[in-house]
Amino acid sequence: MEQPVPPDHPGRVTNRHHRRVGRALAPYLLSLPSGLWLLLLFLVPLVLMLSLSLKTCSPSTGACVMAWHWGEFSSEMSLYHQEFITSLYFAAASTVVDLIISFPIAYWIAFYGGRRKNFFLLMLLVPFFVSFVIRTIVWEFVLSNNGVILGALKHIHLLPSGFHILGTSYAVMAGLAYNYLPFTALPLYVALERIDRRVLEAAYDLYATKRVGFMKVIMPLAVPGIFAAFLLTFIPMFGDYVNQEILGGTSNTMIGTVIQNQFLVTLDYAGGASLSAILLVVALLGIFLYARLLGSRTIEQYL
Amino acid sequence: MSEEFKVFAEGGGVDPSFWRGLTEQRFSRRGLMKAAGAGAGASLLLSSGAGATALPNKNVGTAKWWAKQKLHHTVNFANWPLYIDVLNGKHLSLQHFTQTTKIKVNYFEVIQDNASFYAKIRPSLAAGQSTGYDIVVMTNNNPELGYLMQNGWLVPLDHKLMTNFNKYAGPLIKSPSWDPGNKYTMAWQSGWTSVAYNAKHVKNPGDSIQILFDKKYAGKIGMLSDPFELGSAGLLAIGVEPFSSTEKDWAKAAKKLQTQRSDGLVAAYYDQSYIQHLKNGDTVVSQCYSGDIFQANLNSKYKDLVLMVPKEGLMLWTDNMCIPLYAQNPLDAMELMDFYYSPMTQAVVEYYNDYICPVPSAKQQLLHPTGWDAAALKAMAPSIGLATSVTADSPSVFPTPDRVKLSKDYYPFKNQEEINAWNNLFLPIIQGA
Repeated sequence: MEQPVPPDHPGRVTNRHHRRVGRALAPYLLSLPSGLWLLLLFLVPLVLMLSLSLKTCSPSTGACVMAWHWGEFSSEMSLYHQEFITSLYFAAASTVVDLIISFPIAYWIAFYGGRRKNFFLLMLLVPFFVSFVIRTIVWEFVLSNNGVILGALKHIHLLPSGFHILGTSYAVMAGLAYNYLPFTALPLYVALERIDRRVLEAAYDLYATKRVGFMKVIMPLAVPGIFAAFLLTFIPMFGDYVNQEILGGTSNTMIGTVIQNQFLVTLDYAGGASLSAILLVVALLGIFLYARLLGSRTIEQYL
Repeated sequence: MSEEFKVFAEGGGVDPSFWRGLTEQRFSRRGLMKAAGAGAGASLLLSSGAGATALPNKNVGTAKWWAKQKLHHTVNFANWPLYIDVLNGKHLSLQHFTQTTKIKVNYFEVIQDNASFYAKIRPSLAAGQSTGYDIVVMTNNNPELGYLMQNGWLVPLDHKLMTNFNKYAGPLIKSPSWDPGNKYTMAWQSGWTSVAYNAKHVKNPGDSIQILFDKKYAGKIGMLSDPFELGSAGLLAIGVEPFSSTEKDWAKAAKKLQTQRSDGLVAAYYDQSYIQHLKNGDTVVSQCYSGDIFQANLNSKYKDLVLMVPKEGLMLWTDNMCIPLYAQNPLDAMELMDFYYSPMTQAVVEYYNDYICPVPSAKQQLLHPTGWDAAALKAMAPSIGLATSVTADSPSVFPTPDRVKLSKDYYPFKNQEEINAWNNLFLPIIQGA
């Protein structure tokens, strides 16, 4: 097999200067596509959104004028801080529910899935081939007052007739937990799957019980995966509005709903953009904390 | 070779600072100044375009302009869903129009609500281009119709081409407060926003809008999520005419609605879905749109739903046909709009629609059809499933004088500040956490 020639090999003198420039440029040229991608589809929209939040826009003509209106952030926060808190609470609670549900699933597939691991993973994902909105609307039927479940339970008098779930915070959290389950299960699976079984065997050889092996070997090695799963689930849930729109009631508005209304109902683009910016800052804070606690490398492995 | 480039070339290999460089923006001072200058120039242009200069429709819609227009035998009509006669997926009234005028109609049911539809056509209008529609239908109880007028984005109508309108238009929609002299608009249909209740659960409903604030029905009261409908109901409830209300009144109304909410009276703030919740018993009293209740009653299952005529008043809204500026076929559009003011056409539309008819004489036409409408009404009868006289006698379609007297107009917003003030009062009630 041909070995790559070291760049400073004395045998290679032709075109030396030319090659040196080429070598120096290579990494930049190679990263150009992804750099352009980041610039055009991430940085530019981000800057546009941030600048939009400082402008004053006319809902009538759609014209926006830069006003450096920093007060927009505080006035939006004073109006809608409660919705932020609700969103934080719903997203955190539903993420914890997802972790509790998907840990055993991921654990079982990773350790006992055998040859059929891929099949089980596929089964986990099959419901998610259906559109997000349709899945949520189906939940509306499942949870409705006289639907399949509540109707039957009421019929046999296990529940009082006035009992309802639709419109409550529990309905929203159930919808969130259901819709984002794969975002938790897959990173957890990756984390558990890559645990070196020899380490576990070594623990058993040293007379660790199954319980101790789980607590002292598997859990610590799974922690970065759990954090990644938490972040990957929590952040999109935080800005979600579909679940609240379809399953929620009057007292559980999430910040995503407010932003959606500002863009589509009141045509208040500046207000919507500034709330989105605040949402983004909170999400970035989460990632920053993660990177600080666990290092920035670990998150990449689960994406 | 630029200064920066040299640094890279000499560094060689993948330097960590390169990756930082990718994620950090580096501005030169001059570049920044240039960008700021360009921005300032752009904003200046915008502000002068919106303010001082003449409206873009200055020379449009004059007699001279209309004289130059020609028929193109096609018209693009954007309307709300389920708002025109339907038989087996076809619209008989539109078919008849095409037969008699040889104008082909492309009918689009694309308007779900005023704001989002306006946001879709606004960029075209702001850029001075056709929206693709020759007729759009906008409601007077939302700010968007006003925006279209203020920005000069509508074509002033040619009153010479409004023979049917001038002859048959009813007093409720002729020269209305939101468009004096029908300069830009002709009504498509109107309706009332009022209160409906379920007679099975509500005994002694009375005749007051205060029923929406009755603790007896706590948790079973439905309100509308449209801030203009919600606010207007609040104003009626504190005994103020919405049309002539002041910002002080709005604050009082908002307080009343906030209390209604915090006392747990409201089940939820609904869009069009309120009717579903009223039907399945989630709510027993609800804000409602008149036509929905009439249509629900046609099903024997929902005979118990009753439209109340509160003594405080009924909010009268109207969906208005208008021609957006830069429309390709304005003359064809005028033909179509006036065609819908023929009593025969309205009889066919109303037999399906059940909203307030802009042409009162369509009532006689429903009872004794005389022309092409006879065949159309007969063809539709099996699918509608009720006699044309039921539609003709409905006070929700052909309002009785007492209902006309109780009909109230919405507040006419004078500027954006007022709209913002209204939204800031009533939106937090709807979307409060």
